[in-house]
Amino acid sequence: MTEQGTTHVIEVTINGRLYSRTVEARQLLVHFLRDTLDLTGTHIGCDTGSCGACSIILNGKLVKSCMMLAPQADGAVIETVEGLANDGELNPLQESFSRNHGLQCGYCTPGMLMAGTYLLRENPNPTEEEIRRGIKGNICRCTGYVNIVRSIMDVAGGHGAEQADGIVGEEQR
Amino acid sequence: MSATSGSKAATRERVESWSGQSIPRKEDGRLVQGEGSFIDDLGLHGQGYAWFVRSPYAHARIVSVDTSAAVALEGVYAVLTGEEAREMCVVPFFQIAPGDGARIEEWPLAVDKVRYQGDAVAVVLADSRDTARDAAELVEVEYEPLAVVVDGVEAVEHAAPVLHEKAGTNVAWHGVYDYGDIDFALEHADHVVKIDRLHFHRFSSTPLECNGAVVDWDKGSGVIDVKSNIQMPMFAAMVIGPSLGVAINKFSFSSRDIGGAFGNKIGFYPQIAALALLSKKAGRPAKWTEYRTEHMLSSTHGNERTFLDIEVPVMADGTILGVKARAVDDVGAYLHYEPLGAVIWSQVLTGCYKFKNVKVDFTSALTNKCPVAPNRGYSRMQQLWMLERVIDIVAHELDFDPVALRKLNFVQPEDYPYQTPNGCVYDSGNLPLSLDMALELADVETWRRRQSEMGTGTGKRIGIGIGSTLDSGTNNFGQARIVNPDLPFSGNGEAAFAKLDLYGEVNINVGTTPQGQGHETTSAQVAADILNMSPNDVTVTIGFDQAHNATVGFSGTYASQFAVTGLGAVMGATAKLRDEILEVGAFALQAPKDDLELRDGACLVKGDPSRSIPFIGIANLIYTNNAMLPSELSSRIDLNCRYVYIPPFEVPDVERKMGNLTLTYASQIHVCVVEVDEETGVVEILSYVAVDDCGKRINPQIVEGQVHGAVGLGIAAALYEAFEYDEDGQLQEPSFYEYHVGTAMDIPDIRTGNIESPSPFTPNGAKGMGEGGGAAVHTICSALQDALGKDGAIVFDSHNTWERVYQLLQSSQGNEPRGVRVISREGGAA
Amino acid sequence: MLLKSVNYVRPESVTEALDILSSNEGAAPLAGGQSLTNVLKHRVASVDLLVDISALGELRTITRAGDGSLEVGACVTYDEIDHSPDVRAGHAILARESSHIEDQQIRNRGTIGGNCCLSDPTNNLPPLLVALDATMNIRAVGGTRHVAAEDFFKGYFLTALEPGELLVSITIPPIPVGGGAGYVSLSVATDSKTIVRAAARVRVDGVIEEVRVVLARVASVPIRHHAMEEALRGVAPTAELVRAAAEVIGSDVEPIADGHGSSDYRRKMARVVARRAVLAAIEEGGRK
Repeated sequence: MTEQGTTHVIEVTINGRLYSRTVEARQLLVHFLRDTLDLTGTHIGCDTGSCGACSIILNGKLVKSCMMLAPQADGAVIETVEGLANDGELNPLQESFSRNHGLQCGYCTPGMLMAGTYLLRENPNPTEEEIRRGIKGNICRCTGYVNIVRSIMDVAGGHGAEQADGIVGEEQR
Repeated sequence: MSATSGSKAATRERVESWSGQSIPRKEDGRLVQGEGSFIDDLGLHGQGYAWFVRSPYAHARIVSVDTSAAVALEGVYAVLTGEEAREMCVVPFFQIAPGDGARIEEWPLAVDKVRYQGDAVAVVLADSRDTARDAAELVEVEYEPLAVVVDGVEAVEHAAPVLHEKAGTNVAWHGVYDYGDIDFALEHADHVVKIDRLHFHRFSSTPLECNGAVVDWDKGSGVIDVKSNIQMPMFAAMVIGPSLGVAINKFSFSSRDIGGAFGNKIGFYPQIAALALLSKKAGRPAKWTEYRTEHMLSSTHGNERTFLDIEVPVMADGTILGVKARAVDDVGAYLHYEPLGAVIWSQVLTGCYKFKNVKVDFTSALTNKCPVAPNRGYSRMQQLWMLERVIDIVAHELDFDPVALRKLNFVQPEDYPYQTPNGCVYDSGNLPLSLDMALELADVETWRRRQSEMGTGTGKRIGIGIGSTLDSGTNNFGQARIVNPDLPFSGNGEAAFAKLDLYGEVNINVGTTPQGQGHETTSAQVAADILNMSPNDVTVTIGFDQAHNATVGFSGTYASQFAVTGLGAVMGATAKLRDEILEVGAFALQAPKDDLELRDGACLVKGDPSRSIPFIGIANLIYTNNAMLPSELSSRIDLNCRYVYIPPFEVPDVERKMGNLTLTYASQIHVCVVEVDEETGVVEILSYVAVDDCGKRINPQIVEGQVHGAVGLGIAAALYEAFEYDEDGQLQEPSFYEYHVGTAMDIPDIRTGNIESPSPFTPNGAKGMGEGGGAAVHTICSALQDALGKDGAIVFDSHNTWERVYQLLQSSQGNEPRGVRVISREGGAA
Repeated sequence: MLLKSVNYVRPESVTEALDILSSNEGAAPLAGGQSLTNVLKHRVASVDLLVDISALGELRTITRAGDGSLEVGACVTYDEIDHSPDVRAGHAILARESSHIEDQQIRNRGTIGGNCCLSDPTNNLPPLLVALDATMNIRAVGGTRHVAAEDFFKGYFLTALEPGELLVSITIPPIPVGGGAGYVSLSVATDSKTIVRAAARVRVDGVIEEVRVVLARVASVPIRHHAMEEALRGVAPTAELVRAAAEVIGSDVEPIADGHGSSDYRRKMARVVARRAVLAAIEEGGRK
């Protein structure tokens, strides 16, 4: 991408699969995921990068995909909510969200799951305060956050990333 | 095995009853995998993308609209203006208001004038989102700005610019509610507490998913297919049908997953009408995705209500005799669902209290602001807040203990069913017990000790607050006649289908538009109980579908009623289905019906399981093998059972403004402890407790989730969220950048307790719940009042930022007018 | 929410970036994008060419020199600053304040350079950098120059950067021996919209010898309050004397009002946060 242009060809690995597409430079990464690739699990809830519904993990970091342009994702390795379950088998964090009623309408849930996944990888044994800090960038209007915190807490402790992802490390993705 | 994690708990062996269990939700499997179908996930082949052109002015004449540059942009399919929309319509939108309000003319797009910042003047359809957005910028509108009115009281009590010339006034509705004899009470009470002004502010629940629709007006069939997340689709059809000149059965409304609504997704039927016209003009489907700023400006705001000249007669022992007040409701620039708010508050006329004398002079005022439509706790929250402020202020001024004062004036457990002065009937409850439970869970005793030990000079203060609220559910639409006697509305209802499909699968569908309340799950629980099978094996259709599901005029999800109306319909339909299965089973097993039972998807002879027929066998006989049946049976039974649950209502007495306006009254009593920094006004919540009573809980975990959610929204509204307009009618909080939505670091952990006082009026003893009555707003205000102390200022506003708290702390020390006076009768005990 | 058509380029070196910036008038650097993307979404400013510098290794280093000074690359993220052992070793306050910026997602992308170059009076790091007497290292095609942080912020969304120049790193001197730094924010909610902020760096040797007090969101840029510094120099580091010194913040300060606070409240709170920041700095210095 060393040549300037209003369109660019990008290659992105998402949930283990490589995609190559031509994108307009102005396209937000979240629209690239939703509209170009039909990965509609990642949601849009605002237009100022405030709500976190669009959160994904990019090159191992939790980011808001509405605050990045599609060409910035060239060469990136991305994880979205669609990659959490294994062929319909929910991972421990997803199970915990259901068990603990950590979702109602489900709109913030993909972003919350990615935030929870990232949090537990970085900090396998968080306190309640740390969990709340970790999801501070994710707005929920339905739950008052109580059960979301419980859902993440329920898989925390001891087993860390393995517990949340159901895997050990990122290599297996 | 399956993607639904609900399987694990729900396949437990024999349970007493699925109702009352916190089984994991059926909805969760798809939602945690990002496989929900929200409106922006859906679309139609050949669709265009829509973008609305909106007015930057709060009040202006539209001089001209030039769409030529927009139309010329490559990729643009069509542009629709207000003038065109009016030409294409038969009549303007039907108005709920009577008299002057009825003469308001509203079309799908603004014509001649714009009346609030964000009022839509045109809409563009193009081949991509980006093109539509770019083209919208090319539409040139010339405006002639007009004077603006942004204060509801000013709009109706002083000379102010009139928004709707044909109405000739900004008074959308006015009426006086008068029960008992308040003037006598005021004259003879030992004390009268006079409060100049209480103000409930403007905010909304800002669901995370904004509005949206895919609208296709198909030329050939004349059908308008509307995929949308609007939460009262049949009401929308009722309003826009006559305007578009389209029969109701030519609409096909449907919804799938909805990302929260809280009432805020009721009022956007004008956008749907505009999209229908746009689709017609362009000859292709129109897909509209609302973005956040657009939502904040032009979707729905909650009622902003100012209470003036409040007078409260109080006896020496603390018995409150009633309340007199003037109320002005600022309802914004157009009436979407309003002015129903002018009567709905009277469902909780006296709140939790048993006083008998009430007079409220109520005005709904039009202003140059975003239209008001239901917001969680619609119209009742404002009244309940006012009453809670009154209790606290009376306690403060007359030196009563707020707990004792509440208990003295509460409706008592032995009073139920309790009739209020305006004929509403509180079905059941135990408010004193709920309050005690909340106080104990919050360990108020310890906090009171800590509060007094803290003393003065530490720079911090502790405040302990109580909020008692009612969540009235299942409303009698007949109350609309109190607003407008000509409205042919009354009662309520919801419909459901219970079916056995071709291969004997059980299938339920309901007329509701769930937005996270777990309808699929609780419907399955209730049906599973009746059919004696696992909820896992009961399929509930997702979402609303006018063509496919059972619906009635009131269908939708709103007003805290699903547990009663929705589940009532499911129960009725399933009971019918059960009966039909038994009848067919009786024939197939050659046994009397009374000897049969249903178990785990089969019909069998009690005590002789070798004589059984599975549901697939039952279905076979009816669907594809009916010559095997006597015609008496096959002509009567089709295993497709529709049932409409109708709550027992009568038409209210319009003249006296009385009647049974709501079927059920859930309650929530909250207690919270705050710490206030005296130097800055910063408030930290140290403890928060909520005790709810919604009768029989079908799924306790879902109920608790609703309580949490209501608290989260209420705390955020009390401390962080407000829609404010400057004098030019510019919204100061048009996005989440300015409008601070409570985050996980702002909302504390919430401890809950509950009581179940079953309702004697509902099929399952449950009461509707969910809205929560705004309890957290009342509770936070109460806690701040307590923190301000005996000599402190009075909390008059529902919204208290740190700056406001700081001002209250400062004015506690000053000599400014306090806004409250106590007049004690001569010789009366103080 | 949807951007205008825009050009995008990702240079592979700072030299290349500077070439592009200097030869394209409508070009702007794109670092973390946590502010610029919003600007573009709402179409409040026009950019013809986005020059993505966020991945340039040259701009993403943190170096702690032998004398204890710290050089932080302009494209280092808030999260990286928070977790950097080099930052925590000698400038813990910078790590701490970086960790309070908004939320994890924004901290994973937002950069110290972006926070400075935006020059939004509500931003977290500019007042701290002024208090710490940082130097902004600027490169152009023609060479390098250095500007004191105090002179870098010129006005609303205006810095000392000339067209074609890039902020490449920020050098922060060590906190003086016997000194400490403090930072207090008053926000609408936790780690959220700013009402007013204060940052202070103080060195105590019996009495207050050196002091820098910086206020944010009382003017278009962070300002040092010289009158308060004057009132503090040479006095004993007691709570009463610091409180008295803060009282000199008065009508000389006229914060712009907005939905998050009136002018009067902000001015009064400026005294409170300034006092608390100075006391925190004194306490940190005392602990070392």
